[in-house]
Amino acid sequence: MSNLFLIIDATIRGNLYRLTRHRMPGALPYGAKYRLVDFTLSNCKNSEIHNVAIFPYGNYRSLADHIGSGDRWDLNRRKDGIFILPPKNMNVTAEDTISFQRMYEHLEYFLRSTQEYVIITPGNIIWNVDYNVILDHHRKNKNDITEVIGDNGKRLKTFVLSKALLLEYISSYDVIPYRNLTEVFDYAHNIVKEQYNFESVCFFIETAEELYRADMAMLISEVRTHLFNPNRPIYSKETMSSPSRYGKEAQVKNSVIASGAIINGSVINSIIARKAIVGKGAMVINSVLMNQCIIEDGAHVENAILDKETRVLKNASIIGAIDDLFITEKKQIVANDEKLKVIQIAVECSPFVKTGGLADVVGALADNYSRLGIESRVVMPLFPSIKEKYRVLFEMQAETIVIYNGIKYKVSLYTYSKNNTIYSFIESYDFFDRDQIYGYDDDGDRFAFFSKACLAFTDLFDDLPDVVHIHDWHCGLIPLLFKNDPRYANTKTLMTIHNIEYQGVHDAAIIERVGITNYIVNQPTINFMEIGLATATKISTVSPTYRDELKYEFYGKNLVGLINRRDRDLYGILNGLNDDIGPENDLIIQQKYDVKTYLKMKPINKADLQKRMNLNIGNDYFIMGMVTRIAEQKGFDILFNAVELLMLNAKIQFVLLGAGDQQYIDRLMALESKHPGRIKMNIGYYSSEPGYIYAGADVILMPSRFEPCGTSQMIALKYGTIPIARQTGGLNDTIETYDVTTKTGNGFKFFNYNSRDFVFQINNAFRLFSSQPIDWNHLIKNAMQCRFSFETCAKAYRDLYRMMLQ
Amino acid sequence: MKKTLVSMILVGGKGTRLKEITKDTAKPAVSFGAKYRMIDFTLSNIANSNIDVVGLITQYEPFELMSYIGRGASWDLDVLDGGIFFLTPYAKNGNILWQRGTAHAVKQYFNFIREYDAEYVLILSGDQIYKMDYRDLLKHHCQHNAMITIAATPVDIAEASRFGIVETDSFEQMIGFEEKPVHPKSNLASMGAYIFNADILEKRLADTDAKESVDFGQDIIPKCLADGDVISVYQHHGYWRDIGTVESLYRANMDMLDDPNFLDLNKRDHLPVYSKSLNLPPHIVTETGLVQNSCIADGCLISGTVWHSTIGYQTIIMNGAEVRDSVVLPNVVISENVHLQNVVVNKDLTIPKNYRLLSQKIVVLDSTNIRKLGEIDE
Repeated sequence: MSNLFLIIDATIRGNLYRLTRHRMPGALPYGAKYRLVDFTLSNCKNSEIHNVAIFPYGNYRSLADHIGSGDRWDLNRRKDGIFILPPKNMNVTAEDTISFQRMYEHLEYFLRSTQEYVIITPGNIIWNVDYNVILDHHRKNKNDITEVIGDNGKRLKTFVLSKALLLEYISSYDVIPYRNLTEVFDYAHNIVKEQYNFESVCFFIETAEELYRADMAMLISEVRTHLFNPNRPIYSKETMSSPSRYGKEAQVKNSVIASGAIINGSVINSIIARKAIVGKGAMVINSVLMNQCIIEDGAHVENAILDKETRVLKNASIIGAIDDLFITEKKQIVANDEKLKVIQIAVECSPFVKTGGLADVVGALADNYSRLGIESRVVMPLFPSIKEKYRVLFEMQAETIVIYNGIKYKVSLYTYSKNNTIYSFIESYDFFDRDQIYGYDDDGDRFAFFSKACLAFTDLFDDLPDVVHIHDWHCGLIPLLFKNDPRYANTKTLMTIHNIEYQGVHDAAIIERVGITNYIVNQPTINFMEIGLATATKISTVSPTYRDELKYEFYGKNLVGLINRRDRDLYGILNGLNDDIGPENDLIIQQKYDVKTYLKMKPINKADLQKRMNLNIGNDYFIMGMVTRIAEQKGFDILFNAVELLMLNAKIQFVLLGAGDQQYIDRLMALESKHPGRIKMNIGYYSSEPGYIYAGADVILMPSRFEPCGTSQMIALKYGTIPIARQTGGLNDTIETYDVTTKTGNGFKFFNYNSRDFVFQINNAFRLFSSQPIDWNHLIKNAMQCRFSFETCAKAYRDLYRMMLQ
Repeated sequence: MKKTLVSMILVGGKGTRLKEITKDTAKPAVSFGAKYRMIDFTLSNIANSNIDVVGLITQYEPFELMSYIGRGASWDLDVLDGGIFFLTPYAKNGNILWQRGTAHAVKQYFNFIREYDAEYVLILSGDQIYKMDYRDLLKHHCQHNAMITIAATPVDIAEASRFGIVETDSFEQMIGFEEKPVHPKSNLASMGAYIFNADILEKRLADTDAKESVDFGQDIIPKCLADGDVISVYQHHGYWRDIGTVESLYRANMDMLDDPNFLDLNKRDHLPVYSKSLNLPPHIVTETGLVQNSCIADGCLISGTVWHSTIGYQTIIMNGAEVRDSVVLPNVVISENVHLQNVVVNKDLTIPKNYRLLSQKIVVLDSTNIRKLGEIDE
């Protein structure tokens, strides 16, 4: 028996989007009949490890279901066995590596384990390994910690160490600066560390593309020989499927077919899982079909990953590309790809009117839909500022009467077409002919009226829309209005939450005024967002992590109950950034630059920033910048302590551009006068011209308490300015901590909302900047090569619309 | 622990008519339909009927069968208050109790039935391919107030003389029974599945001591009929095949290929047929492979052509090989340019390059006759 016990780190979420909505990565189907975790558990069995604990995050039902008592891996034992140890603190989210704190919650397990050594490894690695070989190496070299590296140089988040040492870290989790073993390995100095290279086939699955590549690798005979060694078999859950059945016209080339599959059509270079059915005349090419997918007669599937029980209807076609796989969700039904007709309804849209990020998203989506061949329409109120600027281009399309609160109002619809997109503006002298967009006492009535007017015009449009996509609380009543109108009862509605802080709470009488009679209100007020979230077909928000966070009270606030109830309809789609933002075409910075010239040009911009801000000049100073709304949300409560601490380092400078909360501004000004020449506040927000900070600073600080998506970090990355951010919302989805070993990552993230962890990461960044220039430049290049395009974002929304139509 | 019903599966027969296929394995452990073993069907029927006590009476080459079934976990039979028991010949007072016929075997183990204080005994055989919910059989038995119920199924009249033929009156009661009659009086064939009231069974078995061989079909049923026991006949409609010969093994495999809905094996939630997982990877068809109108089990690597055949698990079919109208049992290697037609390939066989056997009638190919039957083309 092995002297090892094994911890499966199932807190790793990776970036698998739809595929992990219903399961955690360890439970992902692989290779036609396996789940990823089968490999780790079979390795345990084959290494004679009998004591295994799994630390999952949130939704581990599918994993627990698959593992059962563990008897398939001989882990159903009198002594030891397999343990699933769920998180005790459900409020901790977004962490994607098992932390010492998390292990501390189950300290008892570690104390009870009798083995001397422990191996910690993720449940989403596909490999066939004898863990004892690694242990032998660890002991022979007298290491304190041995880390395992995959054959392609990828870090496998797999560590071997003694139980005694691990217990030291676990029991002092709140004292040491390291949250997990990766941090210990990278930053601790007083221990013997070594990396062990695993030189055989090995796939660490963190993205859908990696899963696809690993699946396709099963077609290579050498890979199969390594993975499926008859002396070290991979065990999996038994099922009762019949043998695979081939029809008279079956044509299968270079494919893996699991039992229970029925093949009547053509399958080329594909992986077909249990009980999948390929109909007559259907074609499946370069694709991965999970369990029980049905490809009906004559359908065509290419470059796709079809999740379990996907049904592709007769003659429908799904065509992805190698770099843009078509990925379905569990049980999705794919109809023929007819032209989608989408209406976006919002109060703002670039370029017509903009107060914040919302307008950019609506405008950019519309532009990209044109390019993707989707017929789309944007409907918004006609504000005077728009009319002034664009009047000559507009065409009056219709006039009608809208009854609101028993009064008849005349409204007109103006349109303006560009490419495939029609922009429609609703004109009403009574409600929209005002200088500001928001901020009036009757905002509730104004946007309720707008919603009703949208409905009144919808049947004037040439075709009924397939999907109505509404943004933020202003349009919150629209799903209910559509539902109540028999003409649109089947129209699907998608509501996007841009920030849950703004919910639109207004007079309850509005419900009656707008003509809704079947909605019961028990309070003096109604909440527009709440009504929208309760009645929309699907809900989305602006990043996958924010989507998960909203389920916790800390983030979801008063709506947390409702959001949890609608969990299965809730999606997270990361916003993009407009392609024209960047140092290549920024006219206001001192020197334009790109990834080839930054080395020479960025110091010029840095000097310019230092000059403008009256800071001490020199390229060896480490400038921390911030471009932000000055508000509690942005992390100011932990910023002040951190900056005070950092000022002990004479090489650090700090600049901030922003506007907002006076109490923070006062403290910022005090800070500035305490450290002249090193700190400069630029109060008064010029959001269109922050380029000089992005171009001149070395790092951008974003210690936000929460951040639905965030754009500052995406802009910073494009300028080669390194974000140091808290691991929350869109920050978590766009930033990967730089890894010295593999030279991957584009910034620095910290998890706990406190100054200590924040400063720890800033110091890590400073150390890299000042003493490892090769790595620092690598990091800048990684950052500048990041792409957060709205095209990707628009495609994700397109896929969601398609899914809603079934 | 009292149980209303216990089941006994008779797997004792030597299966000599299956030739080399059963030379070192019990008949019920023989592979069927690429991934199954014959016994899977009876055991799955038992599992699907919520029966949790099974006695398996076996004496020829039981090792492979026992290791395959194990504790019966694949059929949910690894329960605390029941389970699956292998009832093998044993020695008593210095005599080895060799089993003399199916009924004699049950008699030897009557203690097993007594231990559960069972009211009914379900007698089954382990070499038949069919699906049945035995709860329906028991319901029929109780509703007809029968002492014995026989399951029977209509067969082609031309073939009726191969079976035990049952004659019934209008109340579904048996009035006549003939084993392999030359001139069958009906087309209802006994399936070799019976429910007995336990006391009746005990009594009837007690009278058989002296005989050389005691069989249910040959001896017990005719005797019960003669003694005036109430014997009811339960008619089973649906697929049923008794596998006694190479031809019937082959035919049943072909039945599976020719009927896409064979036994509803591919239908979800319809009395599933369980089989033990061998932890094999899924099968692979390479660039040069072509498979049509066939069934393939896990672990195979197909680079040749397979047409109208069933291929057992872990079989390798190499480039240029062609397998037609054949049944390939597990773990076979079919080398380059081998041509086979109408062949039952015994398990674990390696067929050398360029081997050719295009047979007119169905033959079993085995290491003992491989040189004799076919030839190697140069």
